This record gives sequence, C-alpha cells and structure tokens, in this order.
Amino acid sequence: MTHHTARDEAIMHFAGRNGLYYRQAFQRIGERRGYVPSINIAAALLGPIWLGGRRLWSAFWPYLIADLLAVVLIAFALAGGTSAEQGARADRLEKLAVTRLSEAKAANDRDATSTIVKSLTRSAAALEKAADEARQVADHAKAGASLILALGGSLLVATRLSLGAIANHIAERRFRTWRLESDRRKAGFSLLHAGGAPVLLAALIPIILLHFSDRTLLDAVPSDPAWNSASAAWLDHIIGSISKAVAPAAGTLTYAITGMLGLLEAVLTETPWPVVMAIILAIAWQLAGFRVFLLTFVAISYLAILGYWEKSMQTVALLGTAALISISIGIPLGILCGYNRRIAAIVRPLLDFMQTMPAFVYLIPVIALFGIGKPSGIIATVIFGIPPVVRLTALGIASVPASVREAAVAFGASRSFILFKVDLPTAGPSIMAGISQTILMCLSMVVIAALIGAKGLGEDVLHALQYAAQGQGLLAGLAILLCAIVLDRMVQGGRTH
Amino acid sequence: MIELEDVWKVFGTDERAVLVETRRPEPDEDVLKRLRAVVGVRGASLCVKKGELVCLMGLSGSGKSTLVRLVNRLLEPSTGRVRIDGSDILSIGPKSLRELRSRRIGMVFQSHALLAHLSVRDNVALPLEIRGVARTQREDRADELLVRVGLEGLGDRRITALSGGMQQRVGLARALAADPDILLMDEPFSALDPLIRHDLQTQFMALSRELGKTTVFVTHDVDEAFRIADRVVLMRAGRIVQVGTADTLLSQPADDYVRRFVQNARRPALSDFPPAKARAIA
Repeated sequence: MTHHTARDEAIMHFAGRNGLYYRQAFQRIGERRGYVPSINIAAALLGPIWLGGRRLWSAFWPYLIADLLAVVLIAFALAGGTSAEQGARADRLEKLAVTRLSEAKAANDRDATSTIVKSLTRSAAALEKAADEARQVADHAKAGASLILALGGSLLVATRLSLGAIANHIAERRFRTWRLESDRRKAGFSLLHAGGAPVLLAALIPIILLHFSDRTLLDAVPSDPAWNSASAAWLDHIIGSISKAVAPAAGTLTYAITGMLGLLEAVLTETPWPVVMAIILAIAWQLAGFRVFLLTFVAISYLAILGYWEKSMQTVALLGTAALISISIGIPLGILCGYNRRIAAIVRPLLDFMQTMPAFVYLIPVIALFGIGKPSGIIATVIFGIPPVVRLTALGIASVPASVREAAVAFGASRSFILFKVDLPTAGPSIMAGISQTILMCLSMVVIAALIGAKGLGEDVLHALQYAAQGQGLLAGLAILLCAIVLDRMVQGGRTH
Repeated sequence: MIELEDVWKVFGTDERAVLVETRRPEPDEDVLKRLRAVVGVRGASLCVKKGELVCLMGLSGSGKSTLVRLVNRLLEPSTGRVRIDGSDILSIGPKSLRELRSRRIGMVFQSHALLAHLSVRDNVALPLEIRGVARTQREDRADELLVRVGLEGLGDRRITALSGGMQQRVGLARALAADPDILLMDEPFSALDPLIRHDLQTQFMALSRELGKTTVFVTHDVDEAFRIADRVVLMRAGRIVQVGTADTLLSQPADDYVRRFVQNARRPALSDFPPAKARAIA
C-alpha cells in the first residue's frame, strides 16, 4: 500500500515503534464491525510492561494486579499451601507418640503389671492415630497445593493470552481518543513508563516471597491501639465540653420539641379514635381521591384490628414533629443553597455526611446532649430526614429559568415577589418531592429512634428483634410500612391535585 | 423619548479596570484576559423619539441584547447616560426603578419567559399584580389585551397548552398590560417558524402604530428589521456602525460591513406594510 491517508500518518505517529505493524492491525480492526482476531505477541509476552509503555493505564492496573495475584498463588503453593502446617503438626504428634511408647517400654521393663504401662501405650496409640490423620490432611493439602499451583500458573497464562488477543483493540481505542485530544507529545512507546511495571513488581514480589518463606515475619498489620484510644478519648473530651457548653440551649430545644410532640400526640391519641380515623379518611379523600381513600381505609383497619392503633398514632406524632422540623428548617436552607453557590458548597458535604453516617454513630452524641427519650429520637430523625428536602428545594430554585426571573425583574418585581410568586411556585413540584422523601426517610428511622426510648411501632419491632419473635416483627413492620405508604400517597396526591 | 449617551457595558471581575483598559486607544490584551473582560457595548449613543420604532440589528454577540437591557437597567451600564423623557434613570433608587419598570416599560423576551404555573390570564396580568392592582381590575384588563392580540377566550388555558406563536402573543399582551409608553422587544419572533413570524410581525406593526409606543426592537434578521422599523441601528462588536432608515442603509452603507450585511435583504414591497404606513409611503 503506497497510498497514505491522514489516518495512516496519525497511526504511525501514535505508534512510534512498530508503526507499520499497528497500521496494519488498526486497518484490520477498522474494516469490520465487532471483534477481529489479532494477536499482539509483544503484549502477550510483556503484559503490564507493554501496557505501561503504551500508556494504557486503565488496562495496566487490572493486568498488574492479575500478575501479582498469580505470583501470590504460585508462592503460596510452592511453600506447601496449608500442608506445611498440617505436616508440622503430624511430625509433632508422631514425636510425642514415640516418646510415649519409649516411656511405656521403660515402665514395662520396671513393672510389667503396672497400670501406667497400659495407659501410656493407649496414649501412644491415640497419638499415633492423630499423627496419621494429620499426615493424611497434609497429603490432601499437598494435593490442594498443586491445584493452587496449577491455578496460579493458568491465571498467568490466561491473562497473558487474553491480553495478547485484545491488546490491539485496546490500543486502537486509545488511538481514537488520542487523535481526538491530539496531545501529540504522548505518542509512541515510552521506555520510562514501561519501567513502571518492573519497578512495582520488583518491589512487591520479594515481599510476597518473604511472607511465604517465613509466615511469622509479616503476620500482623502494624497498628497501635494506643492511638485509637487516645483519639477516642480526645473526641470524648470534645463532645463532653460541647455538651456542657450547649446544655442550656439543648435544654430549651428539648423543651420545645417535647411541647410540640406532646401537643400532636395529645391531639392524635386523646381525641376519640373514631373521630381521628374519620378525619384521616376525609383528608385522604380530599387530597388524593377515592383510591387512596380505600387504601387508607384498609391500612386503618389493619392497625386497629391488630392493636397497633395507639402505637401508630404515637409514631405518626413523632414522625409529624420530626418532619415538620425538617421541612421548616430544610426549605429555607434549600432556598439559600439555591440562590448562593457558596452556601451550597458548604452545605452539600454536610448533607452527604448526615445521610451516609450510620445513624448509630450520631445517636451517641445526640444522647450525650439531649439524654435518652423522645426528643433525642426526634433529633436523630431530623438529622437523617432533612437532606432530601434541602437538596430538592435547592435543585428546584436553581433550575428556575433565568429568563423567567429576568422577566419578573423587568416588570418591576421586588425580591420578595420573585421569591414567593416566581421561584417557589416554579420550584413547587421539586419541593413537594423533597417533602415526600423527607417524610419517608423520617419514617424509616422510627425503629432506630425506638432504640433510644421513643415509643411507638418501632418499639414493637425492637421487642420482636430482642426475643426473635418473627411473627410479631413482621406484623409491626407491616404496620410501619402501611403508615409510610398512606402518608406518601396523601402527600403525592396533594402534589398532583 | 429614550436617550443613550456614550454608554458602555463591560463584563469582568473588575468592571472599572476593564473600562479603563478598553477605552484606551490600544488596550492591553493580557490585562483584559486577566480581568476576564468581555465588552458588551462600546460607547453607544442613540436617541429613540417618542412613538418611533427602532430596530437594533446585528449578529450574535454584537451587543444588541445587552444594549436593550441597559434601557431598563436589567444590566447596569458601566458608564454613560441613559435618559427617559429627559430624566436620568441611572441615578434613581431601587424603589423608583421598580416603579419605572412596572409603569412605563414593557418587555418581550425571545424565550417568552412565562410562568408555567399560572393561567394565560394571570400571566398577562403579572405586571399589574406586581404593581398591586386589585384582582378583578387586572383580570378585566388582561382579558381586554388577550382580545387585542387575538387570543380571545383563552385566558383560562394553561401556558403549556399553547403553541409557540400563541405563547409569544401572551408575552406581548403581558408587555402591554401596564400600558407602558416604552416597549423593549428582545428578538421576540426569532424562535418562531417563518409563516407565524410574518403573521406576528404584521399584527405587531398594526398594534404598535395604533398604540404609538416608543419601541426598541432587537433582531438579527435584516428582512424583519427593514420591514417593521422606522430606523435601523446596525451593531458590530458592541459598536453602533450605522443608524438610518432601510433605504439609507441600502443606498448609502457606511462601510463594507454594512454593505455585506444588507446586500441580501429583500427590499420591502409596499404590500408588506399595513394600509396606514403604505399610504404614508405612497
């Protein structure tokens, strides 16, 4: 082929060394759809060294790790696998049996009728048997070791073969992105980068070999328990001083939450139950229509007949308080985040932290600050439940089209007009989705809240857990689920109507 | 009457510094790069007479949309003077500015910028709501305007139920709701298909002659500008290159750029105009 296209030139430049070979290989790959068989012998032989030299890093690491794994398996097998341990044990037992036997012989020589002789002989026989067993296990393990050896060897061969078969495809794909970016300095085969794999392997393989030649050398990861306990003590101290400092504020907060919760609970549990049920059904009908009304009716019947009514009302009161607090903090915070990118950048990692940190971890400081009981349960629930409403409010506000806001300004709207009449209504669906998410998140916390003394359905689940009462647990869990579904459908219905 | 006098608009991390640099005969490009400077409008002076319809014309990025936003201070001019009926609007406070915007200036946007959660009627009445006009009064006014723009009886529809052309009519009705004496139109018909655009142009011309609004109309379409404008302002890279009637631009282009810009324009035929103007021309 004498005719050179721009593509050919680019391939020659990209490949550097062996340009003609790659030009042909890429040509073959480009001519047909799908996989084209094409073996790259250099890649198969050199493995990670070739990948490094060609700067194919995303393939380099998996193949390097596969190489190391193969070395570990082979070294493990050559060191005898687990057979070494068993063999040593068998040797030990055998030695013991021999001494026992010689002791028996000596005792027999002294006094043939002594009972000691009998027991010694019996013990020697038992030891012999144990040694035999150990020997057998060791033999098994030896067979296992050769299996592991075969596995390691075939892993090495298989990875190299596969690399040889796909190497040109990987290189061709890299060529296309390289051409797109056309960072032309990164062309050709780099000896420097090719050296990466040998250096890494040279550093790691001796460690592997050392480990398998003497198991005692690298047994434990170096750690210092003192550091752990010192750090924990330091955090204890900080939390202690914080809780001392904010104790009065915490007291007020506890008081306020208790008041709010008490009010809601009184309304839900002190009002005669038929009235409460009727009102809930009416709200369901009004907000979300007949189907949700039916669903609510079924759910209420379940809760009532199985005796969960009182507890579910306590749960709803707890949840309602937590959700109200979450929403009344979350929406303004979300609005701030939507307007101000800097605040959003600070708040977002905090929200991630609140959502990802296991609830049990922040229960500890919450208890330290607010004591055991319902307020702590509510605060823990708020911590877990607030992120969705903040996030979705911020998203909604931030995605109000700039042109709509500009139009309002052009007609002389004030900032508050824009917030209440333009931004909030436009962000409305997103905010409602956030509220719905927050309520569900809060409900999923009731069991954990029950752990620190919040009453309600969560308590039943907790009891069931303690006494492994599967039936009870399922029934209480279903009750929580029904509360969640009904609340969600009611909020969603409110959104669409 | 709208008067702009040596108005500049520069964007950058430090507007003042950018301004100082750009007004030099040979600005230092490195300094401008460091200040992330973009010049929107360079020393524009323009006078739009009462009842006149002026078209700002130019390519994307020529500064025409920036210039029209300086008139109602959606963008603050970096320097220069802007007067409406002789009074300086750059010195007034936020409250008087809102007053000015809500009573005297109506605006139409390319992306219609209507509120999706409100009905057509409530969208039209929005400027009146901002001004604090009572509900019944502003609804009556909105219905009146919907008739004007040919959307009679559609007041109760959702915005999303309307076609693009109808939405732009709603935008126009909204701009007229407060009965302002100035209309700012930022490429109102650019996103519409040619037939609907032509219809809306015709309707708008009739309406604007009838109502006698002082209008600044932004467009990149030479045909549109020549068809509807009393005078055309051609802009390039933030500068006003030439101001004149369609005839002037065609017969006496100020430079090669203007010539190339207008050479493919369709000369407006008499039948393009509504009867009143056609008679005046004839």
